[in-house]
Amino acid sequence: MPCYYDVADILMEEELISVVFQVTANGVGLLDPGAERNSVEKGAKVDLPFWLAHGMLSLEQAVSINVPPCFTQKTRKEIQADAACVDLRVRCPYFYELGCKIVPLVGDKSIGQFLRYAFASRYKEILSKAHSSSTMTVPKFTTRLTKEEAQVFESARESMSAFRKWRVGGARLQKASILGRKRKTKLPDGPSTP
Amino acid sequence: MAGQSDPHLSLFSPSEVEFVAEDEIVEIVPNIRMEALNMICGDFGPFFPQIPSKVPLWLAVALKRRGKCTIRAPEWMTVERLTQVLDAERESPREFQPLPFHYIEISKLLFDHARDDITDAYLVRSLIEDIRDVRFHKVETGLETISGRTHAVKLKNLSAMEVNIVRPFMVRTLQAFYKHDSPQMIQQADNTGSRSTPVTDRGPRRDLRRR
Repeated sequence: MPCYYDVADILMEEELISVVFQVTANGVGLLDPGAERNSVEKGAKVDLPFWLAHGMLSLEQAVSINVPPCFTQKTRKEIQADAACVDLRVRCPYFYELGCKIVPLVGDKSIGQFLRYAFASRYKEILSKAHSSSTMTVPKFTTRLTKEEAQVFESARESMSAFRKWRVGGARLQKASILGRKRKTKLPDGPSTP
Repeated sequence: MAGQSDPHLSLFSPSEVEFVAEDEIVEIVPNIRMEALNMICGDFGPFFPQIPSKVPLWLAVALKRRGKCTIRAPEWMTVERLTQVLDAERESPREFQPLPFHYIEISKLLFDHARDDITDAYLVRSLIEDIRDVRFHKVETGLETISGRTHAVKLKNLSAMEVNIVRPFMVRTLQAFYKHDSPQMIQQADNTGSRSTPVTDRGPRRDLRRR
């Protein structure tokens, strides 16, 4: 569950969302790059960060939110075809978090089902790759994962590589990194300025 | 501790699990005479030459390293027993055979420090490796069946190290499924009745092991 101090949760709210203004808003011309005056016309289509869109929607229904492109039919078709190959990070690095937040705000109720289907079909791939990949190289497919999936992948990979490392053995006591470092011999340059 | 960076995932590092395993009792045959040792965790000894005595693994290893005893390999660490276990593991694809909770750590410690006390050490070692591989493969195939309706996973006879390896992944995955399966995400969709995406089989709660 996202908590107040969750950085990912804060970053997620920066995602741009396309909204349509239902009212004319004066004095906020900077939101709309195409605005001629310092106002946003009624019916103008503007990209707003999620937190602002959410605030304006809940305040007085000033805007209506369009479903972001990562939850449209096109993406769904691709996920259905081969979930593991879809590059979700390009579409939206906070795919699942944004999806969860946007479900109550838009009319499309099938997003929840879609999210779960996407995660369920993608995580098997993550599982098998995470436990079989070598410890040194990061597999290429990690660039396709969203932040949440990447976390799952990393946690699995880390525990597996820690186990492998333990099994091979080695020093039980680890040297603190500061002890191995050689002290730099620093020439006393003193106050040499004339 | 390894889990400190993320307090929600109480993750032990493998060496911490090994540390816990060192409290398991093993049998040693000392070759010295020594007074009883009074430790916080209990009293061990007194020790007499050639009289078997039960001590924790850490004490056994410490004595062994000083050449004061030989460690008796546990009764499950024999070629016959392990061959049986391996066959049974291979035959039942969903069940885990009962082995000591810390069998991976105990066997590693014994191989590291008391290799000469184990009969057929090479064979025993490769058998344990095989058993571990078979079991872990089972865990992985079991994890693949987790679905949205999985609220708990039952893993009987799984050992400490095996649990520890899959724990972070399992916790995160179950959290994600819990989030995506919460009523406000799903129920609304059920009410409309229009499903544009095929939903994977939402069968009853799945176990890694048939009950």
